[in-house]
Amino acid sequence: MGKAARREARERLKQQRLKEQQKAKRNRVLIVVGAAAVVVALVVAVGYFVVMRDRGGGDVELPPQALQTDGSVVLAEDGASAPVLEIYADYQCPACKQFETATGSAIQEMAAAGEVIVHYRPVSIFALRGEPLGSNSLRGGAAARAAADAGKFVEYNDVLFENQPAEGDAGFSPDELKQWGEEVGIDDPAFAERVDAEAEVADRFAQDYAPELLEKAQGELGADSINTMPVTDLIAWGDENGVDSSFLDDTYVREILESTGAVNGRYEGENAFQGTPSVYLNGAKMGNEMYSASSLRSAVAEAEPGEPQSTPAEDAEDGGDGEGSGGDAGATPSTPPSADAKE
Amino acid sequence: MNTGPTEQNTSSDRPDGEAPAAGEPGAAAPPWKARWAAVQPWATLLCRVALAGILAFAAYTKLPPALSIQSVEAYQLFPSGLAEFIGITLPMLEFALALLLLVGLATRYVAAATGVLMLLFIAGIASAWARGLSIDCGCFGTGGAVAPGETAYGLDIARDIGFVVLAGIVMLWPRSPLSLDRLAGLYR
Repeated sequence: MGKAARREARERLKQQRLKEQQKAKRNRVLIVVGAAAVVVALVVAVGYFVVMRDRGGGDVELPPQALQTDGSVVLAEDGASAPVLEIYADYQCPACKQFETATGSAIQEMAAAGEVIVHYRPVSIFALRGEPLGSNSLRGGAAARAAADAGKFVEYNDVLFENQPAEGDAGFSPDELKQWGEEVGIDDPAFAERVDAEAEVADRFAQDYAPELLEKAQGELGADSINTMPVTDLIAWGDENGVDSSFLDDTYVREILESTGAVNGRYEGENAFQGTPSVYLNGAKMGNEMYSASSLRSAVAEAEPGEPQSTPAEDAEDGGDGEGSGGDAGATPSTPPSADAKE
Repeated sequence: MNTGPTEQNTSSDRPDGEAPAAGEPGAAAPPWKARWAAVQPWATLLCRVALAGILAFAAYTKLPPALSIQSVEAYQLFPSGLAEFIGITLPMLEFALALLLLVGLATRYVAAATGVLMLLFIAGIASAWARGLSIDCGCFGTGGAVAPGETAYGLDIARDIGFVVLAGIVMLWPRSPLSLDRLAGLYR
């Protein structure tokens, strides 16, 4: 057993110790990385679960929906004494779709339970924003208005948001719009006719009329005043300055443009309308809490009962597709809290 | 994601001083090396906390999830189901990474993951830019479409490159005070 052998043994021992050290370190790294991975998985999973649970979902037996004279729709239990939730949305607006996805079910559940009076007020803020945004928005809005004639506005509203075209893509084609109508149970041929007629008007508005109007107004009014001007004022200006809007007469496209123009004057100060989606609880504009079903629910629960600021359409088209459920209550006059005070 | 840093771990005992090169009395280290050895843990701590703050702020401003989904959809890169999943989970992921960086758990690997995330963000912004979309990146706050003149892709990318550098520093030199890793016997 010479010197060399002893040195070799020592060397071997050293190597072994080094190996063990490395192994121990590797284990520590594995433990730490494992712990970190667990933390990440836990945080993400819990967060995801909370968000999905907040949405709720499932089919709700809808309370009666009543068309209003301005084309908006009130969804409420008969005789409900509850806060009024006004929802301004554009069918082409992505944030509106997200609002609908996050809270749509909860809002309908609350309405069915008589806890809220929902006032759907579709608008078209994209009408003048070029193609294909403009005509998508108008076709969608006009079709929803036609669905309201059949007493199926709320159902149709949901389907439109589900199928919202990506920003910049053409969508909401007349064929799709008619097919979705069938899917929600609209079998009145008048719906299909109306959708086709309105689609033509919407296309003409967005492709021919709007560019001409904007070009002319650009030169004479300036871009700034165009951007702040209610769309209806701009149309009126066009009529006085040789851009004829008579093709819009008696169309739902005009109606939704009028709804869009009217909203500007309806609220002031911190409640001023600035874009979609805008949600007002008893006339007070809601902040980001509106995007969570649970915080929306608690805001509604704390609010006083209110009255919708609109008049039910007395000449209610009978809307009776015989759907059995209470959904086709277009014909029942104004059993929901009658609107006495108008604007 | 795992293999990259692991390889580095075995081969890079040099920069992070896990086998404390600076502390070894035998090697008479040049003075700049000794100074760096003294400063580095604090520099790393600073980067760690800064990154944690950035990520936590980014996560917070992305809420509510409904708007975060919209920001992701605006990139038009994913089918809507996937965009929704990403929109909901991204703020949570950022928050989790922020938490881990703050407490210093698995520092090297969390920093690597953060760096990868930032590189993915850069790729996403670059693709939006290349496709001529006009969107807000949704990095802080909620994104979505903006007027064509209001995009800030270059700035967004430059900022994210800065974050990649921070993450890179923490990844290469994970040794820092006030970390759970130390309690576990790592990066002392």
